[in-house]
Amino acid sequence: MERIEPGEMVRRLTDFIRSEGGFDSVAIENLRRMPGGASREIWSFECAMERGGETSRRAMVLRRDPGAHNIATNRRHEFLVIRAAFEERVPVPEVFWCSEDPAVLGSAFFIMERIDGETLARRLLRDDTYARAREVMPAQLAEILAKIHRIDPVKHRLDFLAEPGDNAALTEVKRYEQNFRLLALEPHPAFELAFRWLLERVPKTPRKTLVHGDYRIGNVIFGPEGVRSILDWELAHLGDPMEDVGWMCVRAWRFGNDRKPVGGLGEREDFFRAYEKASGTAVDREAARFWEVFGNLRWGIITISQARTHIDGFVKSVELASIGRRTAETELELLNLIE
Amino acid sequence: MQDRPTSVELLEAAADFVDRELVPTIEGARQFQARVVANVMRIVAREIKMEDPLVRSEVKALARLLGRDAPHLHSLDDLHTAAASMGEELTAKIRAGEADGGGWRGEVLAVVRQTVEDKLRIANPRYLESDTAIRNTKKET
Repeated sequence: MERIEPGEMVRRLTDFIRSEGGFDSVAIENLRRMPGGASREIWSFECAMERGGETSRRAMVLRRDPGAHNIATNRRHEFLVIRAAFEERVPVPEVFWCSEDPAVLGSAFFIMERIDGETLARRLLRDDTYARAREVMPAQLAEILAKIHRIDPVKHRLDFLAEPGDNAALTEVKRYEQNFRLLALEPHPAFELAFRWLLERVPKTPRKTLVHGDYRIGNVIFGPEGVRSILDWELAHLGDPMEDVGWMCVRAWRFGNDRKPVGGLGEREDFFRAYEKASGTAVDREAARFWEVFGNLRWGIITISQARTHIDGFVKSVELASIGRRTAETELELLNLIE
Repeated sequence: MQDRPTSVELLEAAADFVDRELVPTIEGARQFQARVVANVMRIVAREIKMEDPLVRSEVKALARLLGRDAPHLHSLDDLHTAAASMGEELTAKIRAGEADGGGWRGEVLAVVRQTVEDKLRIANPRYLESDTAIRNTKKET
């Protein structure tokens, strides 16, 4: 990817926003790279805009593809899904502009409103500041999820989203099994047992909806009062809404608070009932369990894939390398769930 | 034969330095990475201490599960090769449905659990302890 100096980046970004937004003048201040965002670069800045004598000012965030990374997601698709969610009053940042033209900033990116708050799940689960948030968030997350699942993909022209076919659950299991066979360097009998368990219990999926695809407390901006915003929509697809419900219950997202299965915050039954109340549709407990087992297996396969990224030399990182030794954690949880 | 400190003592000294001296002086993403570095060194130290007996018992358990005599192997390399190839045999049987039910399933689950727990004894003993505590309280209620 073209290397762009910070001063040049400010100039190009200023030009881009002026022409996209039809402004007379634009001034960008405080452009800085935010920590985190392993798969995407996150930049923060303040933007002052002027049109016909009227001025406005917004805190903004730019989410950009790293150049060499080969992850099959698409910035414009993510941009359009977030815009649909915003229009349906899901708490998400307002998105402004998107570009896939590498001439602008070297790779695809989009710009959205910056929402202030905390994202570190460990703080949510442990700090006194967030005692109130811990109480209200399980119900909030269930209500927001019900709202996400009501977004009409046809109305919002989300026709680019992958169509799962007749059986969303079977499609997902097969897809991850294929990844696993390509990536695993050692035998993993616990994963094989989990695949057999899943294939015997594939649920029929009567509802097909928009699925967030990565709905967990690590992808939430929160404050002391609760949820402020839902992030990371790049894995959104069409499928069984219970996939998101099961993924919320995956052990890794409890961050050590293992006695509370839903994100380290609450009980499954309370979460299911809050979702049912908000959505008006029943949660099939067996389907939710299927998707929880699938979610743990999926995370296990992701740990293998992250270790491979290091081992194969695409990205050399002690963090990615060490994740390879976390695969056994998901194996143990899978055995607990299927024995 | 190398002089003291042993490899384990050296690794533990390095990990202690990172945790106690380095981590408090840095912040954010680099602090997180430094913690990961210390954790990785502790994993390797535990592996040096514990791996030999664990992989020997894994090979023995896999041989028994597959209905054959345990091979007499000495070097760690040979033990790794044996564990990997018997592991492949086991996964092939699981994929063929041989562990879907019946008496053998129980034996498979017990051996697989033991192997996974042994990996965690090295990779993350605290995770294993917390898991065992939770399962014990569940059994009591």
